[in-house]
Amino acid sequence: MSSLEQRLQALGRELAFPPEPDLAANARVTTRSFPWRWVALAAAIIALAAAFAVPSARTSILRFFHIEGATVERVETLPPAQERSNAGGLGRRVSVREAERLLGFRLLLPPLAAEPPAYVLDGELASVILRVDGRPVLLSEYAARDFGLLKKSVGEKTLVEPVRVAGWPGLWVEGPPHTLTYFSESGEFRQRTVKIHGNVLLWTHGPVTVRLEGRISKAQALRIAREIG
Amino acid sequence: MVDRPLDEAELVERARRGDLEAWETLVRTYQGIAFRTAYVLAGNASDAEEAAQDGFVKAQRALGRFRRGSPLRPWLLRIVANEARNRRRSAGRRERLALRAAAGSRPGGAVPSPEAALVAREDQERLLAAVELLPDGHRDAIACRYFLDLSEEETAAALGVRRGTVKSRLARALARLREDLEEDT
Repeated sequence: MSSLEQRLQALGRELAFPPEPDLAANARVTTRSFPWRWVALAAAIIALAAAFAVPSARTSILRFFHIEGATVERVETLPPAQERSNAGGLGRRVSVREAERLLGFRLLLPPLAAEPPAYVLDGELASVILRVDGRPVLLSEYAARDFGLLKKSVGEKTLVEPVRVAGWPGLWVEGPPHTLTYFSESGEFRQRTVKIHGNVLLWTHGPVTVRLEGRISKAQALRIAREIG
Repeated sequence: MVDRPLDEAELVERARRGDLEAWETLVRTYQGIAFRTAYVLAGNASDAEEAAQDGFVKAQRALGRFRRGSPLRPWLLRIVANEARNRRRSAGRRERLALRAAAGSRPGGAVPSPEAALVAREDQERLLAAVELLPDGHRDAIACRYFLDLSEEETAAALGVRRGTVKSRLARALARLREDLEEDT
């Protein structure tokens, strides 16, 4: 090491750093700010629900549930949020075939009398609206590799139950509103937290993560999921 | 019976399974270097604290993707530093690094004369000013590698660049500093 390098090292020991915060004490109580950088994808996710912007949140994390590409965490209190309209947030309307071309994989769909339109946002997320007993149910799919992490936060009263869908691992989330957040692979903010009012079945099918969301029962959701494969 | 302390790999495994105490232990271990790294990159204490806090939150949530057997520190620093760089980009200007207030004698060290102490301090201030005048990429490389004593691998992780880029930036930065300081070593 040269004398200049040694001088720089010595200089580092003389620098005035601010007092070190006790981050460990806050490990259970996390503070996050959510800049409005990536609103479109989240809007697509919540076509059946309301979208919420979260300027900051203090959340005590109680328990984690994992499946490939997704985490559900139970928290004491859901992030505070402001409701806003999400009309038209599903993305570009295309044919199923075009959606498959854009996403690079074959969409998993139940048998349908007629092919529904698909909606694609940023070439990463495809959504199809199904009708189950006359009610709309949102089916969303993405390649797990395209999202570093999908996180759902649920309150204490929300049921989270591990399930198997045709042998694949999944989670059934039922109960009061819960939130959904995406993170990018690099951990950068490429995310938005939104509030979901319906029940959700989330499962993986190979490299694809599939979500069913709507006012449906667990039996209905599992029936659709089994039809999907 | 005395419990043995858990090693890092065990703590990571426990944290992956949702053990918050294990995660807190890991945070406590690395919060100092994470905060200082965020500080030199973000340029102010409040952004640095927020970046470190958010970085640890994201790291906790991404533990499932952490490669078993890898050192945790560079991985954590990469996430925290990424947060810090984002904040600096959005905040624009950053505060300059500063020397601590002149202290008295160090424990176990020889006491310099007042004149010698003054010369040494002026020398340090001149060196620090020269570092702060470097282009951002070079200045950050110097700060991470020498001020924070990060390894080359950790410096690369913190700056989000390849190790070779760190080497070249350091070489150019040192050459520039030698020029500025008219040093011939």
